[in-house]
Amino acid sequence: MKKILAFALIVLLLGPTLFAAGQAEKKTGYEIVVVPKDASNPWFVRMKVGVDEYAKETGLNVYQRGTAQIDATLQAQLVQDLIAQGVDAICVVPVDLESLEPVLGQARDAGIVVIAHEGADLENVDYDIEAFSNAGYGAFIMDNLAEAMGGEGLYTTMVASLTNGSHNEWANAGVAHQKATYPKMKLLEQEPRVESNDNGDVAYNVAKELFKKYPNLKGVMGTSSYDAPGVARAIQELGLVDKAFTSGTGMPLDNAELLESGVVKSLTLWDPALAGKAMISLAVKVLDGEEITEPVDLGVEGYTNMMFRKGSSTVLEGEGWIVINADNVYDFGF
Amino acid sequence: MMTKDTIQPLQRFQHMYRNDRHLWRLVLMIVLWLLFMAITRFSKFYSMINFQTMAAQFPEFGIMSLGVMLCMITGGIDLSVVGTANLTSILMGFLLLRLTDAAGGLPAFAIPLVFLLAILIGGSLGLFNGLLVSKFHIPPILATMGSGELFTGICLAMTNGNAVSKFSRTYAKTINNRLFDLIPVQLIIFIVMAALIWFLISKTVFGTKIYMLGTNENVAKFSGLNIDSLYLKTYMLSGICAALGGMIMLANYNSARADYGTVYTLQCVLIVVLGGVNPSGGRGRISGVVLAIILLRLLETGLNRFPRISSYYISLIWGGVLILVMVMNYFTEHKKVVFQEPTHPTLQKETTE
Repeated sequence: MKKILAFALIVLLLGPTLFAAGQAEKKTGYEIVVVPKDASNPWFVRMKVGVDEYAKETGLNVYQRGTAQIDATLQAQLVQDLIAQGVDAICVVPVDLESLEPVLGQARDAGIVVIAHEGADLENVDYDIEAFSNAGYGAFIMDNLAEAMGGEGLYTTMVASLTNGSHNEWANAGVAHQKATYPKMKLLEQEPRVESNDNGDVAYNVAKELFKKYPNLKGVMGTSSYDAPGVARAIQELGLVDKAFTSGTGMPLDNAELLESGVVKSLTLWDPALAGKAMISLAVKVLDGEEITEPVDLGVEGYTNMMFRKGSSTVLEGEGWIVINADNVYDFGF
Repeated sequence: MMTKDTIQPLQRFQHMYRNDRHLWRLVLMIVLWLLFMAITRFSKFYSMINFQTMAAQFPEFGIMSLGVMLCMITGGIDLSVVGTANLTSILMGFLLLRLTDAAGGLPAFAIPLVFLLAILIGGSLGLFNGLLVSKFHIPPILATMGSGELFTGICLAMTNGNAVSKFSRTYAKTINNRLFDLIPVQLIIFIVMAALIWFLISKTVFGTKIYMLGTNENVAKFSGLNIDSLYLKTYMLSGICAALGGMIMLANYNSARADYGTVYTLQCVLIVVLGGVNPSGGRGRISGVVLAIILLRLLETGLNRFPRISSYYISLIWGGVLILVMVMNYFTEHKKVVFQEPTHPTLQKETTE
């Protein structure tokens, strides 16, 4: 009995080492992990589609790994685990910048390449990828609005609040783009910018009032994801379909009905699947020791002509905006 | 057939097992999991850095669990640990910000000072819980849920939901350091705290009293125990544990925020129950809780080694393990093989071989 116990003990202790020999490291290229904010949010489920596609296309050991819930501490611990595991690169969409900063510092100290997305203010990264520059996206929304309006007529802009940084930059860029490209369009001088408070009902009420007050108003450029959908409801209710138009950021499934019925011709967005691919592609470039110089071509649609943000040597901006219309509204899963 | 010389150690082993079934089950689970990891992911799991990482990760919620354990032994619970931790770390974050000099350094007294203050703050927040439970007779689950919300609310009001950061990195560096380049400082804080609590509950009169209180409050009261003071002390200790957990979080994330560690509330309760503490009080020991803490971290880190396994399985496995353990306990108890706390030697049933 004693012998059996002793034998069992020896097997227990030595077994792992023997097994280990059998599974000697197969170094087939890089191991790159994408860490989203969480695993269940449809936005990141869509990102995973892109990551898996990339893995399939290139055969690299690339995968997405998220925590079961959105939580800054869980995400930091997951990244710590990945550092201990010795992966080659970590691509992360941070839940919280402050708590991740020291952990990403550890990663870089361990020689791991760190690529972030939507974390432009992070310091401990090799690069951060943004889908687009604010100016570029504003112009893109304007293009969509102008197309719907036939390139002529009176329009105004809507933002969540007049103090919101990115929304106002988009709106400013949109107006500038209109002035340069669509001379027949005109900004409503009396109320060039209205607020929706990031709320669909407010957007709806404000738009209703605008259309009543200015009968020749033909378009509203939305910025927050509630603007254009709210305006669209007003258009529908006032019977102005095909007379008044709107475009702007919007989530596909939430607005499927509006798009399919033609109240809204197009909404704008960026595709997390492509952002995921772009992050990995950039990580591979850095791992390969390629020099990252403008314009950066990541070989992913919308991320082929990336430029550094003004004054930054880490933040890269692409042209990763997409149009959502009746044809592709169901393609994203969110 | 057993030979003569093997009977004794085997019997001793059986005896040991019968007395501590629960503990052995946790050990068995840990060994099985370690073995499984060895077979499947040896090189990625068995590395110095990995064990060091885990040892630095579990203290923050481990210490909080120790506090919850104390409360549960008295038949209560502490759901305000995360609120206490965050409130403490935010206040200390502000203080560190104040103490940080222009060069980004900290005066030498800063770190002992913030720890001392953290213990005081945690103690008073815990005392507040204790008051609610003892003087106002609010059921602990409601009292601490309420105070937890209150503490989190204060955090939000103080910070507007923003992170407190940009204080000297010296603090984080000190706590994130490794003693002799080997043992994470967080682990040392955890070990000190665990040893202290072990001593308190198994070697002092206070410990015996809280087990009695948890076994039957009325009997304890009529035996002349000052149960109010016992509740106050227990919740104060839990508050101190939570505050120390918060201080470790402050170092690990080099910042403090009202919503850090929100998942820990439930996690701590799960750990304590999994660790063999009776949710209705009176039974449980620290070794079980420590093993449960380690098991949780091993499971989570281990699963992170499997890219293809979704992280949802962590919840699934965790829940499964917990229910399994509780069901096994039920059967153990109904076989009348008693698993008793050694502090009540008189209640212990003789196990005849």
